[in-house]
Amino acid sequence: MDLLTLRESYLQQQIMLCFNGPISRSLIEEIGNALRNYLNGQPTSPSSAMDVFAVYIEMTQNIRHYARSRDYTEEQATATIAVARDDAGHYLVSAGNLVEMDDGRRLVEVVNDLARLDAGELKRAYKQQLRRPRDEQAASGAGLGLLDMARKSTRPLEPALQALPSGQGFFSLTATI
Amino acid sequence: MQGDSYPENSYELFTQVIDWTERFLAEASHSLALDLELLYLNTSSVKAMMDIFDILEEAHQAGRQVRVVWRYDERNERIAELAEEFKEDCTFDFAITAVRVSA
Repeated sequence: MDLLTLRESYLQQQIMLCFNGPISRSLIEEIGNALRNYLNGQPTSPSSAMDVFAVYIEMTQNIRHYARSRDYTEEQATATIAVARDDAGHYLVSAGNLVEMDDGRRLVEVVNDLARLDAGELKRAYKQQLRRPRDEQAASGAGLGLLDMARKSTRPLEPALQALPSGQGFFSLTATI
Repeated sequence: MQGDSYPENSYELFTQVIDWTERFLAEASHSLALDLELLYLNTSSVKAMMDIFDILEEAHQAGRQVRVVWRYDERNERIAELAEEFKEDCTFDFAITAVRVSA
């Protein structure tokens, strides 16, 4: 294993926290606590720290809900999560996971549609979704996660979808706080 | 209620609170005050809280005395914004109070 290359790549991209592997409920909480502790030690406002944490939670819980809805094995349900800083001092929160290509394409479209909305329109869409009757079939997802992330992100959410040899795709999303 | 709430299945967790609130309003006749010091809520918890506020709003419309006080750390305006968005849909007494927390 070439840990030095890994380390240098993290340093160069200013990645403060990174995880790759099967993501359980308790792991989401543990990594979340580590993230919070880290942010508390930074000169970051409590509001921004909470936004970073919130986006991290919505992303990882979305991945868990999706993997469950597709009956993925533990191996398929792995997530790749990174929290980094950009040169302007913004936090970049990214998460990626395996998806069926059709789902991935749909998701990219949804995210790109959100990018066209301004703050007022996003708020309206969020409140509309909040008021929609709960889908009893849906495990938990209130359909609010993407809208919530889009509202918290200072730049439009950046989606990416790459086809894999297996026929599935790797979907990832980046929010800027 | 106080603290963070971000379970994967918020509905499961909040059903008890929602049921209790409905039962209390149906069976008792005195007023109901909700004291909140909530911090972070994931979106499914937000939806569950909205259900609770809707129940309170309905009771208020029916003439019941209901009141919410939501205290938050003055340094974290994000919590105040969250509370404000709930308040927008409520006509009962809904106070959002900044508290100075010593670090």
